[in-house]
Amino acid sequence: MNFRPITVLNKRTFRLNRGRNLVTALAIVLTTLMFTTLFVLSQSMCANLIEMTFRQTGYDAQVSFKNITEEQAEKIAAHPDAAEVGQSIVAGLGQGKALTGRQVEIRFADETYAAHSFAKPVTGRMPQTVDEIALDNIVLDKLGIPHEVGQCVTLEWVADYAQEETNVSEFTLCGFWEGNESSYASMAWVSREFADNAAADQDDTGAASSRIAGIHMAQVTLYSDRNIEGVMDKILEDTGLTGLEYGVNLAYDPDMNRMASQENLPMYLGMILVFVAGYLIIYNIFQISVTEDIQFYGKLKTLGTTARQLKKLLYGQAGRLCLLGIPAGLLLGYLLGMVLVPVWIQTEGARAAASPVIFIGSAAFAAVTVLISCMRPARMAGKVSPMEALRYNDVQRGGRLTKRRSGSAGLPALAWSNLGRNRKRTVTVICSLTLGLTLMSVFYAKNAAFDMDKYLEELMLSDFQIDQATSEEYVKGYDPYGATLNAQLLAQVEEAAGLEGIGYEYSHETEVSLSEQTIANIQAFYTEEVLADWAAYDPTGPGSIQEAVDEKSAGAVVYGLDGIALDAYTAQKHVLAGNYDAAQFATGEYVIAAGLAVEKEEGQILPTVSVGDGIEIEGQTYTVMAVLDNFNVITQGAKEGGIESGNQDRHYLEFIMPLKTFRTRWPQNTPRKLFFNVEDAHLDDVQEMLDRYSAESQESLPLTTRASKAAQYRRESRASAVMGNVISIVIALVGVLNFVNSMVTSIVSRRKEFAMMQSVGMTKPQLCKLLVWEGIDYAWITLVCTYVISSLAVGIGVRAMVEGGFTTFRFTLLPLVLCTPLLLLFALLVPWLCFRNLEKDSLVERLRAA
Amino acid sequence: MEVIVRAAGLKKYYGKGEALVKALDGVDLEIERGKFTAIIGTSGSGKSTLLNMLGGLDVPSEGSVRIGKQELAKLTSEQATIFRRKQIGFIFQNYNLIPVLTVWENIIFPITLDGRKPDQKFIMEIVQLLGLQNKLDSLPGNLSGGQQQRVAIARALAAKPSIILADEPTGNLDSRTSDDVIGLLKVTSDQFHQTIVMITHNPDIAARADRVIRIEDGKIVTGKEAAR
Repeated sequence: MNFRPITVLNKRTFRLNRGRNLVTALAIVLTTLMFTTLFVLSQSMCANLIEMTFRQTGYDAQVSFKNITEEQAEKIAAHPDAAEVGQSIVAGLGQGKALTGRQVEIRFADETYAAHSFAKPVTGRMPQTVDEIALDNIVLDKLGIPHEVGQCVTLEWVADYAQEETNVSEFTLCGFWEGNESSYASMAWVSREFADNAAADQDDTGAASSRIAGIHMAQVTLYSDRNIEGVMDKILEDTGLTGLEYGVNLAYDPDMNRMASQENLPMYLGMILVFVAGYLIIYNIFQISVTEDIQFYGKLKTLGTTARQLKKLLYGQAGRLCLLGIPAGLLLGYLLGMVLVPVWIQTEGARAAASPVIFIGSAAFAAVTVLISCMRPARMAGKVSPMEALRYNDVQRGGRLTKRRSGSAGLPALAWSNLGRNRKRTVTVICSLTLGLTLMSVFYAKNAAFDMDKYLEELMLSDFQIDQATSEEYVKGYDPYGATLNAQLLAQVEEAAGLEGIGYEYSHETEVSLSEQTIANIQAFYTEEVLADWAAYDPTGPGSIQEAVDEKSAGAVVYGLDGIALDAYTAQKHVLAGNYDAAQFATGEYVIAAGLAVEKEEGQILPTVSVGDGIEIEGQTYTVMAVLDNFNVITQGAKEGGIESGNQDRHYLEFIMPLKTFRTRWPQNTPRKLFFNVEDAHLDDVQEMLDRYSAESQESLPLTTRASKAAQYRRESRASAVMGNVISIVIALVGVLNFVNSMVTSIVSRRKEFAMMQSVGMTKPQLCKLLVWEGIDYAWITLVCTYVISSLAVGIGVRAMVEGGFTTFRFTLLPLVLCTPLLLLFALLVPWLCFRNLEKDSLVERLRAA
Repeated sequence: MEVIVRAAGLKKYYGKGEALVKALDGVDLEIERGKFTAIIGTSGSGKSTLLNMLGGLDVPSEGSVRIGKQELAKLTSEQATIFRRKQIGFIFQNYNLIPVLTVWENIIFPITLDGRKPDQKFIMEIVQLLGLQNKLDSLPGNLSGGQQQRVAIARALAAKPSIILADEPTGNLDSRTSDDVIGLLKVTSDQFHQTIVMITHNPDIAARADRVIRIEDGKIVTGKEAAR
């Protein structure tokens, strides 16, 4: 017979304390649940961020070659370090009004290339014959073709950017897939034969740089994400291709991980809070149970159980509870995570990550929390004096009680001194409750501080904004003669019922030469140091500035503004230097320099023309009236000329002139942006009118409304609000559990004392009142602490947190006010319920109970 | 005769000033191996304190206790615990059985805590002697007071300690059962040559010991050999 005393004791005493174990297990479940949820969220966030970058870059292979020959690609494919090589040949670019706003790349690709480009047909297959094509749903929808294999597809396209006439080809749809919304381009897969023909047929009289048909591309998948450049260079060296240009997928950049961990900062903070909350309750429960069992431990010690063995006993109990609580917490936490992930991560198709790290990490964190919580109680159990076992009842406690009572003390005073008997427990419970309630107040106040009006003011200047379709067309470039905002639409808007204000924005690109003063300004602002810092993460910007300084000329965007657009931008808060005078400006002799992303500072040198300077724009000189900051609503947008022109990366100065002046100078330009306000009562009518227009003209209007922006924000911010509330509510729940548990145990453990009181004449109602008073004392101390700490946290912490940004701070403790009656109710209910349970046993039974 | 316990100048004071309580006030004592010694005194005379000092459960304010060759004051708390389970058997007024363990498990508990194998043959001998053979699988809660105290005696004997300390072992028992228990203690003392020190306030019970030590106000009054 192999009798292992501690193990057996562990098992048998565990069964004895069902109620206590239940509470502890519940606390462990809640702690694990919160850890797991936070882990799921942070892991999903990382996974999603990387997935997003893959989708934005358009492929998930490590390396891409923009220009390579087939032989070179084959050589790389044959190298043992290359896992997979996918190849593609460009045939041309899709054209036509229907495809506006989407780049459609007509290409041949092998299965590998398509698969790694998020463009492998899910229905049907890749094209095989020259008249077959595979498209994504985005292009199909733009062309108005049903999602069905065998449909006829007519496509306008060019093999050369510079090509005047477009080619028209007819295909049969052989496959399609869900398009990649994160990328600006869609792939249109055609057969190898089609691509080869396109390359052979193209007109080679124009500039070689605009020809795209026949460009051979490749993507290389490696076995590992580490040291991608090193591995690739070695492959190129081994295959004799050293110097061949390639790009490493941005998604594999080490910066991605850093970004992910920054995004996860609130999660780490949450984990610390969870740890504290978990510690407060688990520590309290074990502390209470050790105190209750102290005689038992004393007895064991007398019989020869060492401190080590006693600790082992306690840790054994904790371990058993972990075995019960942690798996349940993992499961529930993962489920909660699955619910929260789509709310937290807004992107389409965000799913809860299922990596083992989540479960191992959460389990480990929870176990460590329990372990740390047990340390002090275990030490207490280990240090128990054997004399403890010989003490048959705790006379000392009672003694202190009588000393504290003043002569005529009633029940409330007795209750108050009872609370002081176990100060450590009282403090722990109050901390626990205060933590949860304070967090709740903080999250609420922080969310309540958000000011939608301030937010919208930054993003919108009117109820409605319609952009020209190519305004954000960074690849092909902005078309200043586009027809989105045509006379028909403008007439409809201007006649719309309830129109309150309207404003136009036109834009024109040109070239300006930089005066000595302007160059000095630029150099004073962009010092070597600033440029070096900038170049460290993006060399394009500093390069273009240097180029402008060297050549003493830069690009210029001239905006023509009127109406509410002009009024909004020239408002005092946007003015960095000079003074705006509407009447003088309207004369047409002035311009305003605009678009500087700098903070308003007195005496600062701004990197543009100085106020009062003359600036020559296409032969005419204007005086600079003022300098404005950057107001994205006006200045955001693509430059004219597509990627190949290099304009998008050039350094530009920006100027504003009155629309009237602008229109006389460049009468051919069409409006770029239209802003208008409508009376609230007519908002819906106007929206309907625009929808109707959009349907009739078969053109999707690039429309933004205040309402849609507000809705978008609410959608996006729901995540952090939900997260914060879930965490603080669970922590508050833990606090309540701690409170209830402490109340219950302090009553149950004093059964004998109560019986004694009754035996000397305390009536049942008096006893019940005593217990209720104790509960109320607990509650009001907690409430006082919580109100004080929350007031400080909200008044100082939240106020500082929401400083700046789109917020208006309001002092509020609403969640606390709502919780106050609840807490008081608990304070009354718990003692009362416990008392009713006590009543079931007879006085003598309770007096005799050990 | 060999002396197994030697206490010298034992003092235990509680409190301070006017509230000073001299629980033990200079006790010198020697206990011989194999003898059944009774310590008798009134309530509050210091007899329990003395016993706790002898068992290393409590630390004296002054003086020393030596069991065999071991000076108790020189042990750390952890060492004292281990020393106790090897060398000292306790029998308490309230039995101090562990309610979740069976009779058999209770008996072997201190031995197994020490990581030793219980001497089955020896323990069964004790069990037979104490008449517990049919109760080995019962839990203490199902036994009468007398039976529980017999289990406690068996437990104290099982580890073959140098000395057994019994604190009012019959305090909770009626007179017939008390007689039984004292009889058993006496028999085991004789049969296993076990040194036993027992506290009691009952002179009739004390009279059955080999030697009676009377203690009053923390001091030993007499220590006469009882007539055999």
